[in-house]
Amino acid sequence: MRFTPDHPTSGTSLSRRRLLQLMGAAATVPVLGAAAGCESPGSTTGGGGGGGGGGDTLTFVYRGDANQQEAFNKLFAEFNKVEPDIKLKAQGIAADTWGDFSNTVATRIAGGQVPDIIQIATEGQRIFASKDLLEPLEPYMERDQDVVDDYFADIDPNLVEWNTKYASHDGQTYYIPGGYNTVCFWYNTETWAAAGATPPAPGWTWDDFLTAADKLKAAGVYILPIGSDPFTAIMPWMLTNGGSPLDEDWATPTFDTAQSIESLQFCRDLIANGYAPEPGGAFDAGEALTKGTLAAIAGGRWPVIDMRRLELVDKMAIVPMPQKTGPGSPVGWDAWPITKASEKKDAAWTFIKFMMSKEASEFYASIGGTIVPARLSVANSPAFTDDAPEGTTALSEAISYATPVPSPDRGAEVQTAMINAWDKALSGNESPETALAQANEELAGLL
Amino acid sequence: MTAGLAPPVLVDAGAPPRRRARRRQTLAGLAFLSPALVLFLVFIAGPFAFAIFLSVHSWDLLTPREYVGLENFRRLFSDPLLPKAMLNTFLFALASVVTHVFGALLLALAVNRPMNRFVSYFTRSAVFFPYLLSWAAVALLWKYVLDPTFGLVAYYLDKIGIDAPNWFVDPSWSLPAIIGIDFWYTIGFTFVIMLAGLQTVPSELVEAARTDGANRRQVFFHVTIPMMSPVLFFAVIITFIGAFQIFDPIQIITKGGPDDATMTIVMYLYQTGFQAFQIGYASAIAILVFIVIMAVTGLQFLLARKWVYER
Repeated sequence: MRFTPDHPTSGTSLSRRRLLQLMGAAATVPVLGAAAGCESPGSTTGGGGGGGGGGDTLTFVYRGDANQQEAFNKLFAEFNKVEPDIKLKAQGIAADTWGDFSNTVATRIAGGQVPDIIQIATEGQRIFASKDLLEPLEPYMERDQDVVDDYFADIDPNLVEWNTKYASHDGQTYYIPGGYNTVCFWYNTETWAAAGATPPAPGWTWDDFLTAADKLKAAGVYILPIGSDPFTAIMPWMLTNGGSPLDEDWATPTFDTAQSIESLQFCRDLIANGYAPEPGGAFDAGEALTKGTLAAIAGGRWPVIDMRRLELVDKMAIVPMPQKTGPGSPVGWDAWPITKASEKKDAAWTFIKFMMSKEASEFYASIGGTIVPARLSVANSPAFTDDAPEGTTALSEAISYATPVPSPDRGAEVQTAMINAWDKALSGNESPETALAQANEELAGLL
Repeated sequence: MTAGLAPPVLVDAGAPPRRRARRRQTLAGLAFLSPALVLFLVFIAGPFAFAIFLSVHSWDLLTPREYVGLENFRRLFSDPLLPKAMLNTFLFALASVVTHVFGALLLALAVNRPMNRFVSYFTRSAVFFPYLLSWAAVALLWKYVLDPTFGLVAYYLDKIGIDAPNWFVDPSWSLPAIIGIDFWYTIGFTFVIMLAGLQTVPSELVEAARTDGANRRQVFFHVTIPMMSPVLFFAVIITFIGAFQIFDPIQIITKGGPDDATMTIVMYLYQTGFQAFQIGYASAIAILVFIVIMAVTGLQFLLARKWVYER
C-alpha cells in the first residue's frame, strides 16, 4: 500500500514531518538494542560495561564461573561491610582458561571498558604491565607500608620475588599477588586400597607410580588421566624429571631436552599400556572417580569444589606428584593491579588492602575459594584445610619447589605449541623426539 | 531554468502534487527500511569498513594502532600456516557441499512420496531436528559418541572387529570427523530446501514424460533435476558460504588441532586476532575470506548459466 493522498490510510495522510519522526524513532530502536547489548555477559551485578573512567562505582573484573562467583560475591559483601562508602561493581567472567579470561578483558579494554581493578593471572601479568595499562603501586605501598609488610611477611618469599621478576617488565611493582595454585596428586584412598596398591606418600617416585598403576589396572581402574594441558599434564611430568618447557628467563625454549623427551615418553607409555584412558574423548574424571574406575587426578585447589559436590572429600587425599629426579610443580598466581585509566585509584587501593587482609583471606578460603591463600598462616589454618582432603597442605608446601608457568608475551601461542606437540606424541602420531624438536623450533620463533 | 531568471526554490511548497506524493512515498519506504538499514550499517557495513581500516594497521587491542600500509597483506603470502588453513577450509567446504546436496536430495526423494501421514511428519521432523540444537550441545554430544574408550562408535566398531581411530586426536581422522558431525547437524536445513524444491516440480510435466514412455530414472534426470536446478544452485551457494565459515565445532572440539589438521581459515582468523592479539593481520585474513567467498560465489553464478534452468 502506498502512503499518498490518493490512497490514504485510515483516512489520514502521512505528512513529511510525521514521516521523519517515524524514521528517527525506527532508527533508534536498533541503536538502543546495540547499546543494551554492551551488557557484559558474565556480569554478576547486572551493571553495564563499567568503564573505570567515570561514575562513582569501583569496578573489579575477575575470573569465575557460577560457583566461584557465588563465593566472590560473599567476599565482596564482606568488603562492603568494612567499606560501606565504596560502591563495588564486580564483574565475573566465566572463562575456561586464564588465557581466555585475558582475551576477554583485553577485548573489553579495546572497547573502552577499562575496569579499576583486574584479577590477572601469571599468564597475563607481564603483558598487561608492558602495555602501559597499569599504575605503579610503589606510592600506595609506601603509604601503607605496615599493611604491605605484614602481608609480604606472611607469604612465601618466592611469590614476592616472582611478583617483580616475572610480572613486571621494568622492575616496578604493578601487582599485589593474591592466591596461587600448584599441582599435586589427588587420589581416591578407597579405590587405591581396594586394588591393593601401596598408598602414595611424599617423595614417592615414578617407579612407585608404575607399580601402583599395575595393581590398579588389574582391578580395572585407570590410575590418572593423561592429557596435554600445560599446567596439569605437561609441566608436572617435566618438572619432576628435572626438565622445563622454557629456561628461567622465558627467553630460550628447553622443550626438547632429554628430560622432556623422557617425560613425554613416560606419559605416552601410560596410555599405550592401558594405565590411562585414551585422550581426545569425553572422559569425565569426576564421574570416573565416583564410580571407582579412576584412581587419581592431578590438580591444584580448584577440584575441591567438585569433590565437595560429589561427596568425595573424605575419600580423597593429596600428595606431591611422583618424582623422577626431584619434586616439581608448576605454579600460577593471581594478582591485583590498578589500571592507569582508573579515576578511583584510592578506592581501588582500599579494596586491594582489604584483599591483603588476613580476615578477607580466611573468609574467602572458608567459603570455597579455588586458590591456595597467599598467606601461609591462612593456608595452614582450618579455614583452608577444613572440608578438604587429607594432605591439603601439600598444595601450599609445593610453592617452595614450584616453577612459574611460562608466560612470555606470546604466552597463548607458546602454550598452543606445547599442547600440539604433546598431543601428537600422546596419540602416537609422532615420536616424542620429533614432536618436541619441532615444537622447540616453533617456540624459539615465538620467544 | 538558468540562474538569475528565477529566485532559488527554498521549500517545496510550490512543487507539483505528484512530485510531493512521490517524495512522501520514498520517505515512507525509507522509514520502513530504516531499522534493517541501521542494523546492516551497525553490524555488517560498519564492521566491514572498520576491518578494512584495521587491515592496514598493527594493533594488539591494548596499545594505540600503528599504520603499516599493506604489510599485513604482504604477510598473507609468506604465512606458512595460511595455505594449510585455506586448504582445510576448501576440503571441508567441498565435502560439505557434496554430502549436503546429494544427501539432502536423496532424503527429500525418500520422503516426498505417498506414505502414512504420521510416518511422513515423523521422518521430516527427525531429519530436521538436529538443526534446532546449538552447536555447543552437538559438539559435546559427538565427543561422547566418538570417545575412543567408551564411545558408542568405538563400541560397535569393536563388535565387528574394527579398531576405532582416535577421531579427534588422529590428524587423518579429525577433519573427516568434523565433516561428519557437520553433516548430521546441518543436513536438515538443506533437506527442507530440497523437499520444498521437489514439491514445486510441476506434476503435469512428470506425467507428460511418463506418458511419453520415460522411465523413473529418465524422469528424474530430465525433468526433476532440471526443474530443481535453481533450488540446487541455491543449496550449493548457501552450503558453500556456511561451510567456508565453519568455526563452532572446531573451537569446541579440536581448537584447530591435532597438528593443525582442522585449522580452518576462520579458526585461524580467530586465533590470530584474539589469542595472538594481531588484530590488523586478522583483519587482512578476514578480507581475504571475503574475497575468496565472493570469487567462488561469482564463479558459481557464471557456471550456473550452463546448468541452471530458469523457468
